[in-house]
Amino acid sequence: MSLSYIIESIISGLLLGGIYALLSVGFGLTWGTMKVLNISHAVFAVLGAFVAYWMFVKAGIDPLISLPLLATLLFLVGAVVYRLVIRPVQKAKDVIMASMVATFGVAIVVENAMSFFWRPDPRILKPPYAGSSIFIGDMAISQGPLIGFIMAVSAITLLYLFLHHTYIGKGVQATWQNPMGAALVGINPGRVSLITFALSIASAGLAGVAMAMIYAFYPSVQSVWTMFVFLVTIVGGVGSVIGTGLAGLLIGFIIGLCAAFLPFVWVNVLLFALLLAILLFKPEGLFGA
Amino acid sequence: MKTRKYILVLLAMFVLFAFPIVKPPLFFLTLCFSVFMFVGLTESWNLLGGYTGYVSLGHIAFFSTGAYTTAVCMNRLGLSPFVTAPLGGIFSAILAALVGYPVLRLKGAYFTISSLLLAVVMQLIFMNWDFVGSSTGLWYKLLPVSIEMNRLLFYEAMLILATITTLVVRYVERSKFGAGLVAIREDEDVAKTMGINTPWLKMKAFILGAFLAGTVGGIYGYYMSYVHPEVTFSMNTSLLILLMSFFGGCRTWSGPLIGAVVLSLANQLIVTFIGAEISRILYGLLLVIVIMFMPDGVIQYAREAFAREKG
Repeated sequence: MSLSYIIESIISGLLLGGIYALLSVGFGLTWGTMKVLNISHAVFAVLGAFVAYWMFVKAGIDPLISLPLLATLLFLVGAVVYRLVIRPVQKAKDVIMASMVATFGVAIVVENAMSFFWRPDPRILKPPYAGSSIFIGDMAISQGPLIGFIMAVSAITLLYLFLHHTYIGKGVQATWQNPMGAALVGINPGRVSLITFALSIASAGLAGVAMAMIYAFYPSVQSVWTMFVFLVTIVGGVGSVIGTGLAGLLIGFIIGLCAAFLPFVWVNVLLFALLLAILLFKPEGLFGA
Repeated sequence: MKTRKYILVLLAMFVLFAFPIVKPPLFFLTLCFSVFMFVGLTESWNLLGGYTGYVSLGHIAFFSTGAYTTAVCMNRLGLSPFVTAPLGGIFSAILAALVGYPVLRLKGAYFTISSLLLAVVMQLIFMNWDFVGSSTGLWYKLLPVSIEMNRLLFYEAMLILATITTLVVRYVERSKFGAGLVAIREDEDVAKTMGINTPWLKMKAFILGAFLAGTVGGIYGYYMSYVHPEVTFSMNTSLLILLMSFFGGCRTWSGPLIGAVVLSLANQLIVTFIGAEISRILYGLLLVIVIMFMPDGVIQYAREAFAREKG
């Protein structure tokens, strides 16, 4: 086992980690700001993957070009889900618990609707550039993960800029820090929740496209993706964009390192054991406030 | 009034036990089998999930442990399913004890996430573990009796198991143990302050529920004559258990019973005549509706609506 093999493995792990971070960032945001634990988060990533896949296969639109359209579409889907499910659930006594159970139902509905309409076969999004690799010395870095990583970093950066440098984003943050105070200075909490939730779904959809360029996807893969979401969010701490990003990279690093020595499935099992350990000993996350 | 109720229940039980005598078509026995199975699963889930409010999405891990115990024992040792089912229950209980010790210290969402994690990780392990057939699953021979006899035997076995489970849960609900569990749901910290040994109570409920679910799984594993990680660990089963319990009302022993009977009948009929995906979509929707509008279950909801009508 040469050193360059290990480095190659770590680099592809880091690329993957960036994508996991994008997959999780919205989940942490809704949990942190709205106290809504959205188990159906990853199912919308799979939905995003399907939308990009169909636009590519049926209409020949490159997944990178269809991204803005896809983000808009999933933003709207998120807004609808918010109106129909999340807002009524927010009135419950125990919002976290109620939202968790209700979105579990949503996840099952969307998953089965997808396998009903599009069959549960595994598919992969393969635009021509995703298959080839860039060579640095004797290391090969495949372009699929690289493009996904760039997508993820740009999307997370945009989200960060939105939260910290726009009026609405600051409103979201204010509501997060003190809902009562924010309402008193005229920030509409319902509007803020709607935007947060819809944005979170849109970011999940983008991550789904990145994931689909690397892994085969099918409706029931959402449960595994959900696990990655949990993993990154728990490691990074709830409700911190930077924390989520760092956690994604850390997990990617661990994946890359382990993948050099272990078969891929056992890496997953190891990761989940790690998640359990973190839950038990440091439930507020490694980078949490 | 009370004796009349008991006589009615006994009569109903007698009819259920005697039902196979009239030689109904196999479809009905299969249908009833799945109803009993869900009664067993939902009631055993309710011990922890309903009374203490520790919502577990990992109950299928125990169910599958039971199913796989039967599968492996049948396949390698040729043991009778009536031996392996309690054995599966014991293995599930051991698993619950090992997992429960750390996991039950987590609260609310963190507990639910870890329980979901347990199911997904176990599925991943079973998918890649050659000893249990990895992703091809395990097939095995049925007992050397006719198919009718087979169905009849397991109809009765599952009926007995569902009855025992329901009685156990009913007994627990009316005992001091059950009162302690409800105290945990109302306010765990206060319960602890009042001198209730909350970790031990939760542990007991978790292990007992796992034992019952494992036994149900053991019978199911034989009945299906094959096990596959995608099937036994299916997330949809978790959804069904949760939905049945919430639908009927998870604070009583009778709620999950009613929920399981009504919904698993409906589920089987929809799956048979319309399609599995449609039925799951309907179930997901129903769960959302139940959580939004009737968090105490449909029976309580109807009772309140009726009371409002009257008063």
